[in-house]
Order: sequence, then structure tokens, then C-alpha cells
Amino acid sequence: MGFFSPWFLFGVAVVGLPIYVHLLRRHIIPPQPFSSLMFFERGTQSSTRHRRLRYLLLFSLRTALLLLLVLAFANPFIRLTAGGASNKLLLVVVDDSFSMRAGSRFAEAKQGALQLLAARPQGQRAEVMALGGRLAVLTQPIQDAGALRSAVESIQPGDSRANLAELARGVRALVETVHTPVVLHLFSDMQKTGMPANFADMQLPPNVTVVLHPFGTSPPNPNWTVESVIAPAQLADPKDAKKSRVQAVIAGYGTPTATRTVSLLVNGKTIATRKVEIPPDGRATVEFEPLDVPYGLNQCAVKIDAADGFPADDASLFSVKRSDPERVLFVHQNGDARSALYFGAALAAVTQASFNLQPIESDKSTDIDPSKYAFVVLSDTLTLPSIFENALLRYVRGGGNVLITAGTSAAHHARIPIFGGYSSDTHSYARDGYATVGETDGTHPLFQSMPTESTGNDTQGAAVNAGWSDLKVYEVSRVDAAQARVIVRLSDQTPLLMEKQVGEGRVLLFASGLDNLTNDLPVQPTFVPFVDRAARYLAGSDSLGNSRLVDSFVPLRTAAGQAVHSSTGVEIIDPEGHRALSLTEAAAAQSFQLTRAGFYKIRFANGRDALIGVNPDRRESNLEPIANDLLQLWGSATAPPTTVPSTNTGYVQEKNSTHGIWWYVMLLVLVAAVAESIVASRYLGTQREEA
Amino acid sequence: MLQRFLDPGVLASISSLDLLARTVVDGFVAGLHRSPDFGFSQEFAEYRAYTPGDDLRHVDWNLFARTERCYLKRYRGDTNSQLTVLLDASNSMDYTSSPSRPSKMDYARFAAASLFYLAIHNQRDAAGLIVFDDEVRNYIRPSTRQGQLPRLLAGLEQAEPRARTDFSKPLLHFQELLHRRGIVIMFSDFYEDPAAIIRTIEPLRYHGNEVVLFHVLDPKEIRPDLRGPAILVDLETEQKLEVIPEYTRTEYSRKIDHHIEQLRDRTRGAGMDYHLLVTDQPLDTTLREYLAIRQGGQ
Repeated sequence: MGFFSPWFLFGVAVVGLPIYVHLLRRHIIPPQPFSSLMFFERGTQSSTRHRRLRYLLLFSLRTALLLLLVLAFANPFIRLTAGGASNKLLLVVVDDSFSMRAGSRFAEAKQGALQLLAARPQGQRAEVMALGGRLAVLTQPIQDAGALRSAVESIQPGDSRANLAELARGVRALVETVHTPVVLHLFSDMQKTGMPANFADMQLPPNVTVVLHPFGTSPPNPNWTVESVIAPAQLADPKDAKKSRVQAVIAGYGTPTATRTVSLLVNGKTIATRKVEIPPDGRATVEFEPLDVPYGLNQCAVKIDAADGFPADDASLFSVKRSDPERVLFVHQNGDARSALYFGAALAAVTQASFNLQPIESDKSTDIDPSKYAFVVLSDTLTLPSIFENALLRYVRGGGNVLITAGTSAAHHARIPIFGGYSSDTHSYARDGYATVGETDGTHPLFQSMPTESTGNDTQGAAVNAGWSDLKVYEVSRVDAAQARVIVRLSDQTPLLMEKQVGEGRVLLFASGLDNLTNDLPVQPTFVPFVDRAARYLAGSDSLGNSRLVDSFVPLRTAAGQAVHSSTGVEIIDPEGHRALSLTEAAAAQSFQLTRAGFYKIRFANGRDALIGVNPDRRESNLEPIANDLLQLWGSATAPPTTVPSTNTGYVQEKNSTHGIWWYVMLLVLVAAVAESIVASRYLGTQREEA
Repeated sequence: MLQRFLDPGVLASISSLDLLARTVVDGFVAGLHRSPDFGFSQEFAEYRAYTPGDDLRHVDWNLFARTERCYLKRYRGDTNSQLTVLLDASNSMDYTSSPSRPSKMDYARFAAASLFYLAIHNQRDAAGLIVFDDEVRNYIRPSTRQGQLPRLLAGLEQAEPRARTDFSKPLLHFQELLHRRGIVIMFSDFYEDPAAIIRTIEPLRYHGNEVVLFHVLDPKEIRPDLRGPAILVDLETEQKLEVIPEYTRTEYSRKIDHHIEQLRDRTRGAGMDYHLLVTDQPLDTTLREYLAIRQGGQ
């Protein structure tokens, strides 16, 4: 217990007032002479004793009233560390993230958790959780030692990335339900990368005491890892030096200068080896070219002979699909060769995939079957042969994707095929010069930065996003975007780029042209990245990719497509060769989380096959622990910490919460005042009668 | 007009007992116009038919000789009667509930002085005084000699409350001193068991004395007026007791009333007279009432 305003305690001196009134200036009753006490009884003494008791009670109440008043002004608080151990919930959290595979830290952590559970007081409730990408609740708050022990023993090292913010969030949710003090024992390697960007996200409730059990924090372990790999997801020609190459970044954490051997493996066979000198605590890049892989889906990996204490992160997996270039149907107006030129040139620059653009005039598209193409582009050609339009509509509803540009021709045609919307008119900004882009939807895959891909820090999305601000738009079609997602708006809020789901397919509508007449997008630097992202997005390779991070999600089907392919299941084979989905899930699941590192084989509902190499988050490879002062700060974020030695390794942070209790003291003051009034009125009433 | 001066408070301011007694007696005698000659003499009162068991000495033989009827002759008093006052001078008699009110001792003095004055000055009877507490402290032999009244009044003046009341020890002396029949008047607050009191005093009557008990009490002794818990000190034993008003209003009142009632009943049951004197009552009124009752009783 403490006081926020302790100087008010000097007011205790006022207690001298009732002491003087009641004790020092004591009222003495003079005895009265009486002729004989023959008819009086000694039992009457009790009445005076009552009166004396009332007198002392009044004195006590007045003293208590003043003391409580002084106490209330001193603003007392209590630290809530009270409560017996049996009243506290013992929360045992074992970190099963990827970094715990390093050395013997995971086994030590489990052993520590088991020892803690064995040493807990009889009758104390405990709960076991595992901290990975998310906080897995393994038991409810129970007292069953066997169940708790089994829960700890069932924890296996995972491939996820631990996040202390996720732990704090889970504990906050837990505290809201248990309503008792919680002692959180965290068995972890306390990785620095596990801290969230915002420290406030780690804040724990006041009634949570954090006891940390760090493992493997000292001495720091040098660790080399394959940080990233850039490789084509689809390869058409291995001899294409521009695309047929694998670029890997080797990183060292806490490492001295060393030369390491880096190998490229395809389907388990080493096809190339490189020696690379890695600077101390730095990075080095290794390139393998050409990438000669057989046709089909290939399991590839870049591996390093790290010879460190953390061999699990020595390889980075990815897949490469060897196939002929995918064809892209480009339907344009008669006489419009500019659009195909610009788009084809940009498409040829795509490095991650191989596309073969097939331009065709709109009036010659009658016999074209869209299903043979990766995606279709309708370049300012809103008048289509009905047969082709119907075929295209079926193609989209079946999962095909279309990019529609509405340039100058939209002014004459209100209806936009496939998209379903209407173009009211064409607005020209020639009088004001041009219009610029007002806002872009950074959450859309076209503009979303995807640094989580193991193919490297993909800043392409950000580049695409940034480049659009320089775009000059001279003319735009005003399209009703009621049921579409607007991705790009002009500064006057006119939709420029929209997306609409039609069946299982997607339709991107660019409300201007690609002919460098209605806008200057084709000559902007952002055009090639945009076409690259758009092509991969529309071709579907973007959503599949050649590698993913653990805990990322793979979209299996859309809600609209589920109705189309309700009878067709999705098949997923996990790295251990097991089917990851049950029959029910295979028929209905819209997405799947990649929880393990390794190769996942996926057959989608539309018959497409994909091979995804799943890698742990490379931030897990940085084994640098959180600094002690930061851990101390974590403990003191809500209350003054008390550090006491831990029972085994590490240290304990007692998180105490201060609770002001002046309100309760004021209630006591009120009660004492009322009691004093009652007792005093009776007592003084008696005194007046005697007078 | 005289009534105004007979208030106990006013009487208390009169220092001379002689003057006080004369004031009282003249006051109430002046009010008894029809029978100014009543007193303690044994004069003829009435005839009563003889019944077996009556003392033959009281038979009026002259009347029997004339009428052959047997009648007893009854007397109202003896002309040569003697009055003896027994005055309790214990500490409890010194109690007064108010400074403006005479103490029980003073009130008894006033009453005794008035009776002495009445007996000696008006009736020419012998009068004597015995002052006692737990023993006989002063004795003035009954006499009709010149200067007897001043001696008695001086004896009353000197009788200061002291010690405790004890009827049993002075009793033997009373019997020795009261060898001649007469009227014995005892002033006391009688803080004893009524049975013990009667048992102690009753022998006085065997000598043919007419015994009258004047029970002197302060009004606050009958109805104590405590406003709150108080510590009371016994004037005789100096014992202290803490008492509460609730008790005095209920239990004490019941006990003192019962005590008075018991004393009255037992006194009269033993053939003695009992009269309660409350110190806030006018003295002449009290004496006149008593004498009127006595006259009626004869």
C-alpha cells in the first residue's frame, strides 16, 4: 500500500483534537449524596459501563473519522500482488515458433514448463498455451496435472513466427474471462523479431504477472540462412538468360566473415553449387543460371552448408513450373495497333512468368475460344460478336479473368460487356489539361506490397502504387461502379480502375485506353510493373506463386465460384504427404492456411495444379534476443515491476497494479460520519438531560 | 397569612426553635376553632357495653349500681401524660434534595419543637427527648419543671446527624428510660426492614405507651429525579453505586412505595400510629392533619 499524496499524512495531527476532548479534558461525574442505597441495586453499574462504552465508541468514531479523512486526502493505493498462489491462474506458454528449433532450446523450454507444472501448489489452476503464429489454447484452466503435462508434451516445434503482440492479445482476452490474477510463465527464446512494431501492442492487463524463462539467449548463436530467393514461378525457355536464373541472398546474423557453399537443388538433386563469402553480420548474393528444369512442377531449393546451430533455416524452398508460354488474347479495335504494341512490350518484360500475346481484331474474334488463354484483354473494344461475348462470359464465370479498357469507344456504347456496368459518357479533361490519380487502393493485390514472398522483398506493388500519382489522364469513361471494387480513383473521385467478380472469374475495368491517347500510362515507368502484376494476377499465378511464408493463406475458391464448382473438391497434399483437408473442407473451404514448411501440392476446383514451397519467416533466423531493458519495460508498462530471481533460468517480472482506494476510504468516512452523528446525538442528548 | 410562613423553606430560615415552635403551634391552633382544648390528657370519651374479656377495672361500677348494666368507661387522655420524642440523628437524616428545602433532620426538629411547645406550653404535660443513632446520644428526662422547654429545644439544636441508625442497640435504653406510660413519638427515616423496625419498637408499647412513628422523608427519596446515570453515595455507609434513571423510575419507586406501605401496615398492625412526613409539606398542615386524625381515632 502506498500514497499518491503522502504529505497529507501530516494531517494525522488533528487526531489530537478528539484525544484532548475525550481523554485529556475528561468529563467527571460528581457523586451525589443520598440518604440510603437500601433500595438500589449494584446491577445498575452496567448502565454506566454502557455509557462509558458509548463514550469510548464516540471517541473511536471521531478519531477514525479524522484518520480516514486524512487517509482519503493522502490518496492511498494498493498493489494488487495479493492473493494466494492458489487464487492465481498459472498460465504456461511455450514458444513453439521456428526459432525454437535452434539448438536444444525447445526441449529445454518444454522441460522447464513441465518442472513448473510439477512444482505448482496443490489446487492451483493452470492453463497451457503454445505461442506460434497464433496463440494456441491447449487446455482450459484446470487442475488436472496429467492433462496439463500431456498438453505440454504434445507441443511440437512449429514453423511459425512468434509474435508477442499475439501473446498479449490472447492474454488480454483470457483475463476478461477468468477474472482472477494471472501468472504468465513464458518459455521462449525471447527473439527480438518477435516484438511488434508498436510496443503498446505488448501491453498486458494490470493483474497479469509476467515470469520470463528465456532460453538460448547467451551466448548469441551465429546463424547463416538463405534469406530470400528470386526465381521465376513459370519458366518457358531455360535458355532465356533474362528469366532463367535464380538469385539467392545469404544472410548472417551474429556471424563472422565466412565462406559458405550454396547449392541449388531441383527435385532433390543438386544441379549447381557456388562458393560465397559472407561479410560479418551481413549479406551476400548468389546467382544460378541457367535454371534448367524439366517440364512440369519442380521442387527447387537453395541450400547453404551453414554448419551452425540452426540447420532448419539453411534451405529456402520454391517451385518452378516449366511450361510453354501462356497465351494472352488481346482483342482490339480495327486500326488500333498502339494498344497491343504497348501492352505486348510490357508483357514481354514480365520476369516471373512467360506470356505470349496474341492480338486480334474484335470482328475476327467470333471463333475464338477464350478458355485456351491465360487471360483476355478487351482493349477499347466494347462491341463484340455475340458468340464471342457469350463464350467470354462463360469463360469468366468459369474462372477466367478479363482486363477491359474503355477508351474513346465507350462514349458511343453505354454497355460494357462482361463487366455488366454502364458508361454514361466520356469526360474529357482536355480543357483543364489533364486529371491525376487521387487515391489508390493499397490493399488490392495489384498495389499491395508483398514482402512476405520468399522471392524477395517485393516492392513492385509499392512501385506500382507510387507511379500512378504521375499519371496524366486526359479522357475517362464514367462507369457506374455500384457493384465493383474501385481500385484507383481520379482526383475528382471518378473511378479509373475497377474490379468486379463475375462468377468465379474477375474482370478488371480500366476506364481509359492503353493507346497513349486518353492517358499517358503506357509511357509511364509504372506501366511495366502494372502490366506484370496485372498479368500475373489475371493469369492466376500471382495467387499461387512459387513460394509462400508459413501461416499465409491460399485462396481456394471464391464465394461465387463455390456455387459453380460445388461438386468439385479441392485437394491439398501437405509436406508430409497427407491430405490436409477433410472431404467437407475440400468441398467448401475457401482458403487454406499453410502452417508447415515444405512443399504443398494443391489441385484447385477448376482443375489447375499448383506446387507451393512454404518457408518459415526469415525473421525467425535472427536469434538475437530482446534486450533486458526492453523486457523490463514490458513488465513496467502498466505497473512498477518487481524483479525476483526465477526458479530456474532467467528472471521474473512481478507485474503489480496500483489501485487507488480513496473512493472506498471516502465511503468509510461517510459511514463513520453517520455513526458518529448517531452516537453523538444520543450521548450529547443524555448530557443535556443531566444538565 | 400565617400559612405563608409555615412553609418548610421559610421555617428553615428561622434560627430560633422556640420562635419556630410558637409560630407553628399558634398557627395551626388558631385554625382549630371548635376544639381548642384537645391534647394529650386522658379525659372521658365514651361508654361502651361490656363484652367478656374486657378489663373489669374499666367498668363503671357507679353506673352499674344505678342501672345494673355493665359499661366500660373509656378515656381520651390523661391530664398528666408525658410526651417523649425519640429523634433519629443518623447521617441519613441530614439528606436534603435542595438547598432551599430543610433536611429531614431539620424538619424533624421543627416538628418535635412544635410538639414540645404544644405539650408544655398548652397542655402543661411533661415532655422529654431522646436523641439516638446507633446508641443513645442525648437524653432529657420528661418533666414539667420550669425551663424544660428551653432545655428540650437546646437538645434539639445540639442533635446533629452522625453515625448510622440502629434501633436494636438503643432499645434497651429506651425501655429503661420509658418506665412511665405516656406518648412516645419517634422521628426517623426508617431505612430498615419494616419487620425489624416493628419488632424492635414494639416492646415500647408493652408499658402502655402510645407509640407514634413519624416517617420523615424527602420528596426526592420517594420519587428520585435522576436525569441520567449517576453515582450515588450512601450518607451512612459512604458506599457508592452507579444508578440509571430507568431503575429509579421503576424499580426504586416500587420498592420505596412498598417499604412505606409495609411500614404503615405493620405499625398499625402492632397497635401503633404511623404518619409520613414529607419535607416539602407545610409543617402546621402536617401536624394538624395528624392531630385531627388522632382526635378522630380517639
